[in-house]
Amino acid sequence: MDMNIETPEDQNEENSRRVQVRFKTKLKPPQKVPSNSIAIPSNLTRFGLSSVVNNLLQAVNPEWKSEPFDFLINGELVRMSLEQFLLAKGISAEKVLEIEYIKAVAPQKEEEPSLHDDWVSAVDGSNPGFILTGCYDNLGRVWKAGGVCTHILEGHCGAVSSVNIIKSDGLKYVTVATASKDQTLRLWKFDAEELVNHPKKIRSFKILRGHKASVHSIAAETSGNMVCSGSWDCTISLWRTNDSDAAGNQVSIKKRKGNNQVEEPQLEGEAISTLVGHTQCVSSVVWPQQETIYSASWDHSVRTWDVEMGKDLSDIFCGKALNCIDIGGEGSALIAAGGSDPILRIWDPRKPGTSAPVFQFSSHNSWISACKWHNKSWFHLISASYDGKVMLWDLRTAWPLSVIDSHKDKVLCADWWRGDSVISGGVDSKLCVSSGVSIQ
Amino acid sequence: MRERKKSSAVEVSSVKKKKEKKTKDNNEPREQKEKEESQSIMKQQKNTTSRSKKEKQRKATEDYQSLRESELSGDEVHGTDHDVDNADDHHEEDQTDGSEGHRGVEESDSSEDEVAPRNTIGDVPLEWYKDEKHIGYDISGKKITKKERQDKLASFLANVDDSKSWRKIYDEYNDEEVELTKEEIRLVQRLLKGKAPHTDFDQYADYVDWFKYDDALHPLSNAPEPKRRFIPSKWESKKVVQYVRAIRKGLIKFDEPKEEEPKFYLLWGDDSSAAEKANHLAYIPAPKPKLPGHEESYNPSLEYIPTQEELNSYQLMYEEDRPKFIPRRFTSLRSVPAYENAVKDSFERCMDLYLCPRVRKKRVNIDPETLKPKLPSRKDLKPYPVACYLEYKGHKGAVVSISTEASGQWFASGSTDGTVRIWEVESGRCLRVLEIGEAIQYVAWNPLPELPVLAVSAGQDVLILNTGLGNEEEQRRVKDLLHVETPTAPDVLDLGLVEDHLLKNLLLALMFTLDGVFGRMASQGRLPLHVFHPTRSIFFVSTKKNIRVYDLLKQRLIKKLETGLKEVSSIAIHPAGDNLIVGSREGKLCWFDMDLSSKPYRVLKCHPKDITNVAFHRSYPLFASCSDDCTAYVFHGMVYSDLNQNPLIVPLEILRGHTSSNGRGVMDCKFHPRQPWLFTAGADSVIRLYCH
Repeated sequence: MDMNIETPEDQNEENSRRVQVRFKTKLKPPQKVPSNSIAIPSNLTRFGLSSVVNNLLQAVNPEWKSEPFDFLINGELVRMSLEQFLLAKGISAEKVLEIEYIKAVAPQKEEEPSLHDDWVSAVDGSNPGFILTGCYDNLGRVWKAGGVCTHILEGHCGAVSSVNIIKSDGLKYVTVATASKDQTLRLWKFDAEELVNHPKKIRSFKILRGHKASVHSIAAETSGNMVCSGSWDCTISLWRTNDSDAAGNQVSIKKRKGNNQVEEPQLEGEAISTLVGHTQCVSSVVWPQQETIYSASWDHSVRTWDVEMGKDLSDIFCGKALNCIDIGGEGSALIAAGGSDPILRIWDPRKPGTSAPVFQFSSHNSWISACKWHNKSWFHLISASYDGKVMLWDLRTAWPLSVIDSHKDKVLCADWWRGDSVISGGVDSKLCVSSGVSIQ
Repeated sequence: MRERKKSSAVEVSSVKKKKEKKTKDNNEPREQKEKEESQSIMKQQKNTTSRSKKEKQRKATEDYQSLRESELSGDEVHGTDHDVDNADDHHEEDQTDGSEGHRGVEESDSSEDEVAPRNTIGDVPLEWYKDEKHIGYDISGKKITKKERQDKLASFLANVDDSKSWRKIYDEYNDEEVELTKEEIRLVQRLLKGKAPHTDFDQYADYVDWFKYDDALHPLSNAPEPKRRFIPSKWESKKVVQYVRAIRKGLIKFDEPKEEEPKFYLLWGDDSSAAEKANHLAYIPAPKPKLPGHEESYNPSLEYIPTQEELNSYQLMYEEDRPKFIPRRFTSLRSVPAYENAVKDSFERCMDLYLCPRVRKKRVNIDPETLKPKLPSRKDLKPYPVACYLEYKGHKGAVVSISTEASGQWFASGSTDGTVRIWEVESGRCLRVLEIGEAIQYVAWNPLPELPVLAVSAGQDVLILNTGLGNEEEQRRVKDLLHVETPTAPDVLDLGLVEDHLLKNLLLALMFTLDGVFGRMASQGRLPLHVFHPTRSIFFVSTKKNIRVYDLLKQRLIKKLETGLKEVSSIAIHPAGDNLIVGSREGKLCWFDMDLSSKPYRVLKCHPKDITNVAFHRSYPLFASCSDDCTAYVFHGMVYSDLNQNPLIVPLEILRGHTSSNGRGVMDCKFHPRQPWLFTAGADSVIRLYCH
C-alpha cells in the first residue's frame, strides 16, 4: 500500500522526482511508524524527512507531539537533500530506500553558567553527581548542577591544569586528583553527597611530587588505584592513590610560609614508575584500560604505553602538536586527538600498517583544546576549540551535529556529564552546561 | 621571298652534301651530280635582278657556293685523303674572307648602309648632347662642336626663296644638310604607299620550280606517301588521353596566373610592420604623426567644442598637460584663419623624426620560466608557520622584543609601555606583568632551564629579572643569584646570556669590545649589533655596513664580512654557526656562508621597508625576517653538512596580520624553540603566534 504525504516542500515543487522509501527505527513503539513503503519527493532534506515521520506518527497516534529526528541511509546521516545524497553516495533511487531514523542529537537547553574567578582550565564530568573544575586561580571546585559550588579544593600554588575524578564505587567519600603548573599533583577526598550552604574549603590528603616541570594532564586507572600524569618535562609518571601507602612517609608538613592554617597531616607520594619516550611536553594522557595508557604530546605523536612493561607499544605520527586525546567509539578503540590546528582527527589503531586518520573533522577555526567521546555511544564526541565553540560530532557525517557557541573567548576544556549534557569551561571564566542531548 | 627560301634550301642541301662527302670520299658519281646541280643553281642566280639587302645576303652565299665549287674541284684534282676537320676549317675561313672581299669591291655604291661612317662621335644617342654646344668627342677626346645653325627666321626666308628647300633634310647624326635626289624622293614616296621601293622589282614573279627539269632521270623519291601521314597517331592520342586524365585527377597542376599587385597602397596605414618594403634589414620606418580626426575639422560637431568651463580648466593645467589643439567652429572654410603654429609644428615634427631613436631592439628568445632557479615545492618543505591561531594581547605599547624560554612553555615580551610580560604559549595567558617604568629595548630569557631569569635592557640599565616560574628550589637558586648580581655594563643594546663555559668569553668580549669597536661606534651615535658563535669562541659585531668577526680567545679580528648594505639592522646566526643572516634598513636580507667568502652568498630583496629583525630556528631549517611593512617572511634555509653543497634557500610564506602603528610594523620575530612556530611582536601591541 502506497501513501502520498503532502509536505510544504512538496506543494512547492510538484514536479520533483519521487523516491520509494521505507522508514525503520530501533526506537520504542510510540515512536515507531508503520513499515510501509511510501513515495516522498526526492528534494526533501532532514527537516522535510522529520516532518514526514512526525506526520506519520500523528496519523497513528493523534496525541503525538512532533520532535526532530535524524536519518541514516546506509549508516550515514543525511545532511543534504535526499536527491543530492543519493547522487553523492551512488545509491540507486529505483529500489525502495530503507531510511533509519533516530532522535536528533542537539542540546535542548542552556543552563545557568557557573562563574569562576579566573579561567577555567579543566573540567571532569565523569561522576553524575557533581562537576569538578580546575581554574587558573589555583583552586579546584566542585559544582552541583545549576551553578552551585559545594567544595573548593585549596592548596595548589600554580594554576590547575587538569582534574580527574577517581572511580570509587560504593565508598562514601569521593577521591579526585588534580594536576597543576606548580609541578605537583594532589589527591583530594570529600563527601559529594553532603549538603552545604556555602562552599566548603577542603585540603588535599596527598601531594605527589616528582615532575620537574608543569604537569599538564592527569588520568586515573579504571580501578582507581593509580593515576598517571603527563608533564612538560616530557615524561609520564605513574602514582598510587591509596592513602595508606606502604612506604608510609607520612610527613606532617611544617607550617609553610603564608599558609598557616595547615594542621592536618599530608601524605607525600613518589612516582612508582616513569614512562620516558616523548621528546616534548606530554599534553594529554588517558588510561582507558588496566594495562594501556595513551598519550598525546607536542612532539606530534600519539603513543600507546604498556603499563607493566613501561614501554611504548605503538606510535602514531600526526604532524601537529597535540593538545588533547581521548579513547572511545567502536569497541573503545578509536583515538580522537586535536592540537595546534583546527582539525579533529580520529585514528583506528586496529587498522594495520597505517597512521592515516580514519576521520577528520575540520569545522573549527582555531586550535582544538579538548575532545571527549560519549561514554555510551559509538558515534558521538565533542570537541572544544580556541575559536570559542564546542562542537558535537557524529562519526556518520562530516558536519557537526550542533555547535554550542555559549563562550565568548577560547574554550579550554569540555566534557560530557550524565550522558546528556555537555560541560565546557573557558577563558571567559564560565562553566557552561548544555543539557538535553538525548543519545540513546 | 619564295625564291630566297629556295636558295637557303640549296644552301642546306649543299652543306649536307659536303658532310656526306666527308664520310664517303670515293663516291665519285654522286659528287659529279652535285657539281652539276650547283652549277645549274649558279645559272639561275645570275638571272635574279633584285637589289635588296636580302638579295645581297644571297649573293654572299652564291659567292660562297662558287668558292665551294672551286674547292671541290681542287679536291678532285688532287684526289688525296687529308684530314677532314682541318679541311673543313679552311673552307670556312676562306669563305668568310671571300665574302668580305666581294662586298668591298662590288656593292659599296648600292646602299646608304654602306656609306663610310663620317660621324666621328661614335654610336651614342644624340639626345645626350641635345643641350650642349658640342656634339661629341673625337678619337683624341676633343670636343666636336656643332655646326652653327641658321636662326629660324633666316632659314625660313631661305626656304621661301629656295624652291628645292623641301628636299633638304638635316642629318643630325652627321651634322649636315642633305638634299634628296629625285630618285630618292620617288623611293620614299613608294615606300609611303606601301609598295616595293624599286619600280623594277616584280612582286608577283612566276614561280620557278627548281626541282623540275626535263631531263630528270632519277626522281628524288618515288615512294608513295606512307599511311601514317594521313591517320591520327594512336600513341599520340593515348598520350593525350593520359594527360587529360592526369589533369582531371589533379595530378598535373598549372601555375596560377600571377595576381597583379595593386598599384595603390594605404597611405595612412601603419607601415611600422612593413619591413619587407625596404630592401635592407635595418630599415625602420619613421614614426607617423597623429592623424587628423573630426575635431580638426573646420566645422566639428558640437560635442567636440569645449565649453567655457573646460577652457578655463585648461588654464589651470600644467603647460604639458594642456591640449595642444582646441577645436573651433567656422561657418565656412574661407573663414578659417591661417594656422599660426604651422612652422613650429613642422619643426617639431622634423625634430621628432631626427631625434627619434630608431634602433632595433634585439630580443633574446628565452622562456623566462627557464631562467627561474629550480626550487623544491613548498609542500615538500613542511612544516613551517602558515596561519595565526593565537594572539597575545595585553601590552599597551608597541612590543619591541620577545624571547622564548628554552622548553617553549613560556615566553617574555618587552614593550614601550614599560612592562615586561611573561606569557604561557599554549593558552595565551599572561602569567606575570613586570613593571620596569622605562621603555624596554630588549629582553632575553636565560637559555638554561634551571635558572628561569630574564635579562632586560631598559634605558641605561640591564636588569636581571626573576620570572617567578619553576619550583621552590629553582626559585631559591634564582634569588641567590640575583642577590649577587649588580646591574652594570652601560650602553649595551642586547645581551645574550651564554652558557657557563662561555661566561669567561662573555666578560672578555665585553672588555674587549668596550674599549674597541663599541667606543668608536658609540661616538658616532650608533650602537653595534652582535652575536656569539653558538659553539666556538667567536664573536660577530656589526658596524654600519660590515660585520667583523673576532676570535675571543686570541682577541683578534679573523674576518670582515662585506654586506654591501646601506645599514645593517639585525643579525642572526645559524645554530650550526657557519651561516649568518643580516637584515638591513633597505629591506634586504643577506645570507653569509662563512666557508664561502666575505661577500654574501645570497641577497634576498623582499621587504619594501626596513627589516627590523631576523631569526633562525634552533632545530628546523627555517629562518624568518620581519619588517616595518607589517609582514614577516618565512624561508627554508637548509644547511648541509656536506661541504660541497651550498645552502638551499627557499622563500616559503608571507605572514600578515599585524597593523601598522606610527609607521612601525613588526618589531621582532622569534621562533618557538621546539615547534616550527613563529612569534611576531607588532607595533600594534599584539604578539601573534603563527603555527604550521
